[in-house]
Amino acid sequence: MFENGPQMDGFAKYLVRRFFQFFLVIFLGVSLAFLITNLSPVDPVEQSVSLMTSFGATDPRSVELMRSALEELYGLQGTMLDQYLSFWGRVLRGDFGPSLSAFPTPVMSLIMGALPWTIGLLTLALIITWSLGNLLGALAGYYRSNVLLKLSGAAVMALHPVPAYIIGLVLLLAFGFIWPVLPISGGAQMNLQPGFTFDYIRSLILHGTLPALTLVLVGIGSWFISMRSLVSNIVTDDHVVYAELGGVNSSKIFSQYVARNALLPQLTGLALSLGNVFGGAVITEFLFNYPGVGRLLIQGIYRGDYSLVLGVTTMSIISVAVAVFIIDLLYPLIDPRVRLG
Amino acid sequence: MLFKKLAAAALAIAAMAMPVAAQDFIAGIPRNEALIIQGPAAQNAEWFNLWAPGGGATTNGNQQLTADTLWWINPEGTGDAAWTNALAADKPVYNDDFTQMTVTLKEGIFWSDGVEFTADDVKYTVDTQIAHPGMGWSAPFTVNVESVEVPDRNTVVFNLKAPNSRFHTLFTVRWNAAWIMPKHVFETVDDPLTYAANPPVSLSAYVLHSYDTAGNWVIWKLRDDWQRTSIGQGLTEAPQVKYVVYRNAGNPDARVIEQMNHNLDVINDIAPEGMFTIARDAADSTAYWFPGFPFAHPDPTLPSVLFNHQVEPFNNKDVRWALALMIDIRSVAMGSYRGAANLAALSTPPTGSAITDYYQPMQEWLVNYEVNTGTRTIKPYDPTTAEQIAALVKPQWGDQIPSDPTQLKAMFGEGWWKQDLAAAAELLQKAGFTKNGNQWMKPDGTPFTIKLMVEGDAIPTLARAGTIIAQQWSMEGIQTTVDVAGPTNGQRLGGGDYEAAIYWTVETWGGHPDLSFFLESYHSDFIKPAGEVQPPRNLTRWQDERLDQIIEANRTVGFDDPKVVELGMDYLKLAVEEMPFIPLMAYNKFAPFDTTYWTGYPSAANPYAASGPNWSNLRYMIVALEANPNAPAAQ
Repeated sequence: MFENGPQMDGFAKYLVRRFFQFFLVIFLGVSLAFLITNLSPVDPVEQSVSLMTSFGATDPRSVELMRSALEELYGLQGTMLDQYLSFWGRVLRGDFGPSLSAFPTPVMSLIMGALPWTIGLLTLALIITWSLGNLLGALAGYYRSNVLLKLSGAAVMALHPVPAYIIGLVLLLAFGFIWPVLPISGGAQMNLQPGFTFDYIRSLILHGTLPALTLVLVGIGSWFISMRSLVSNIVTDDHVVYAELGGVNSSKIFSQYVARNALLPQLTGLALSLGNVFGGAVITEFLFNYPGVGRLLIQGIYRGDYSLVLGVTTMSIISVAVAVFIIDLLYPLIDPRVRLG
Repeated sequence: MLFKKLAAAALAIAAMAMPVAAQDFIAGIPRNEALIIQGPAAQNAEWFNLWAPGGGATTNGNQQLTADTLWWINPEGTGDAAWTNALAADKPVYNDDFTQMTVTLKEGIFWSDGVEFTADDVKYTVDTQIAHPGMGWSAPFTVNVESVEVPDRNTVVFNLKAPNSRFHTLFTVRWNAAWIMPKHVFETVDDPLTYAANPPVSLSAYVLHSYDTAGNWVIWKLRDDWQRTSIGQGLTEAPQVKYVVYRNAGNPDARVIEQMNHNLDVINDIAPEGMFTIARDAADSTAYWFPGFPFAHPDPTLPSVLFNHQVEPFNNKDVRWALALMIDIRSVAMGSYRGAANLAALSTPPTGSAITDYYQPMQEWLVNYEVNTGTRTIKPYDPTTAEQIAALVKPQWGDQIPSDPTQLKAMFGEGWWKQDLAAAAELLQKAGFTKNGNQWMKPDGTPFTIKLMVEGDAIPTLARAGTIIAQQWSMEGIQTTVDVAGPTNGQRLGGGDYEAAIYWTVETWGGHPDLSFFLESYHSDFIKPAGEVQPPRNLTRWQDERLDQIIEANRTVGFDDPKVVELGMDYLKLAVEEMPFIPLMAYNKFAPFDTTYWTGYPSAANPYAASGPNWSNLRYMIVALEANPNAPAAQ
């Protein structure tokens, strides 16, 4: 009890500080997103009027009437402050209002429809990228003379600066056209009943392979480079040198003395990278026509649907903030110095 | 070891992927019974209400395959053949002063749930939308309709608030129109604006089969009672296409790949390079609008250089003419469409009936048309541009380029304005401009510069055209920068927030000479002050008393009156004289068809239907297609 007191105090302070940061990040991020989307020059009412008048015969006398009816229907009256306050009220109730480009479908239901696809894609891609990147990076940092690891390092570093859309396009051509063995569009086979069946799961995996591979190839380089660099420094630390001199098994040194220490900053980086990964997912989903939140966001931007854009942005801000917060909570379990404050 | 394991894993994934090629492309549906069309990525895939805001613009097959209304015009057609009485038994009948329109409906047409279509549905469509502002056609009905009477189950009488000789066009499909609502369905729902209409009750030959909740595809199935529809009544045999699949096949590159893999029969639009790739690598299994180069089918839309007449000096016709004469249209055609452009000197798209109604009859007038440059008179029209462009593309396309001038004009247009830099300079001088070195100065002494707005990647051909024109103007001393508007393009055009732009401000019926489709909105009554949003179509805010007189005269003659063509020519001559915008070309779309499974697609030689899958008129193509007897066997 005596020994745990200062530890618990430090941990409590740490928790309170993180809670405060968590809510501040969400408040500022969402407010900024509201401001930016509302300052967008694209007017959803004009977009709808355009859709309703572009294709068929239009009576020019009716356009004013059409415009005023839509403004009322979309609830776009009031000052920006009124809309801001009303927006926060709705956010707290988990409601982003109706989509203006898919009126009157609620934004939340559009997001909830797309979210499982993005979560599935990102989770899979992130786990593979992080694990593989760190494993290869750690091995390359520890076994510095291994030729295969050197080659793999060169390969992932060469891919690192290439934008996601270039890698995606190359994969699309390679596996969709030159060797057409993988689907290049969509989330699953057409007309296949969703469910926990072998056919459907296989279809999901096949359709997700190229988008996930794109994200993996784009993301793996940064984990590889940073991990290799960390491990290269740690292997010269005293405790590693003493362990080697003491005859400790090299695989034990690698896993217990080196990799474990090097993982700490990588874990923080994992949370912080979520935002970047989401950015890459937007392009990848668009390229492979993957029905996730990224594609939804692009549709919203092009249609001037700021309810939808704001909804997606808010959800991504909250998701990243929650992920960072969870990592922050896990951190003391890995690094006792955090518990001690 | 690790790499061996990784390699083994990669092989396992590859092995898992291999069977994909052997799998049914569409689960449970034989490929040779399905026509696959490029569709959109739907945000709200479960929504099928065509009458809610924006619902009338769906391109997922809902309005193309399940909706119907009174009349249809084939945008690619000519003469009487372009007109179809759909739900109406005959053409509209107006009273003498165009304040009343009477429609007789066909009999024996049923909704897909077995309820008979009657005049009550038509009346309900109008009354319900007037009662619910915000519904798709609520505003035009509110402005026009005093009341609707149904004297018997096959007759509808529209009493109008004011004379309107074109009221029937609200019910005439060119791309879409006011679709008839199923009264028996909508009268049971609380709010027609929030009703999803899922599944939709169909009034046409196909019904909803299934859809992707993620919005990537919708499958429609031929109705068992397809004969009991307006389109079915015109058929002697059952349509061979049993399933129509609208699928989002991704970006333009993916569309090309999917068609070459025979997974996409109908493409709406791709870039010229994609088209040329298909023509080179998959010519044996592809059909086009033209049998060879230039492949593309022209939409009845007129890409032009638009000028904002509320911004000086673009309100000066001499300046506009000078800018037109600085353009070398051959470079624009080659740079934008790589030569596959159908040029237009007149201010109406060179498609459908416009060729025989306007372009060909006006050639002599165009050849003799004179422009006074201030120092001399020139005849700027060049009827040989088709031959000149043919010479430019012949090295690449060889025998696909004919030598017959008539064929060349059908491919590349009747003619355009000769680039005449000396005349352009004289016109600018006439307008009070001076030259300082190689820079033209405005009459107030400031440099004449132009911001030329383009939409950007959404329409790459027009963005390229804008870039080339900007280069040509810059070379002649008018510094021109390209302003990429992206998704704000339409809004900036409507709000007058531009100087010059590459876009269209003229669209027509295509299959009918009446120009009211766009011309009605050109009346000066509808011109808005700078900063306010202009009603669609007169994006240049061109205002002219002579134009008003033409529009007012057109209102007083019937849709099919021969005077319509005379008035159309008056407008076209006025537009040449004033050059309110510089017409460039038809909006050519590259819409190749895969013939592996289906044949009999429309073409320039047999333009029985529209080509692009977004056009509702496509339904006439779908029921006319024939199964390819050499198609791979169903798996």
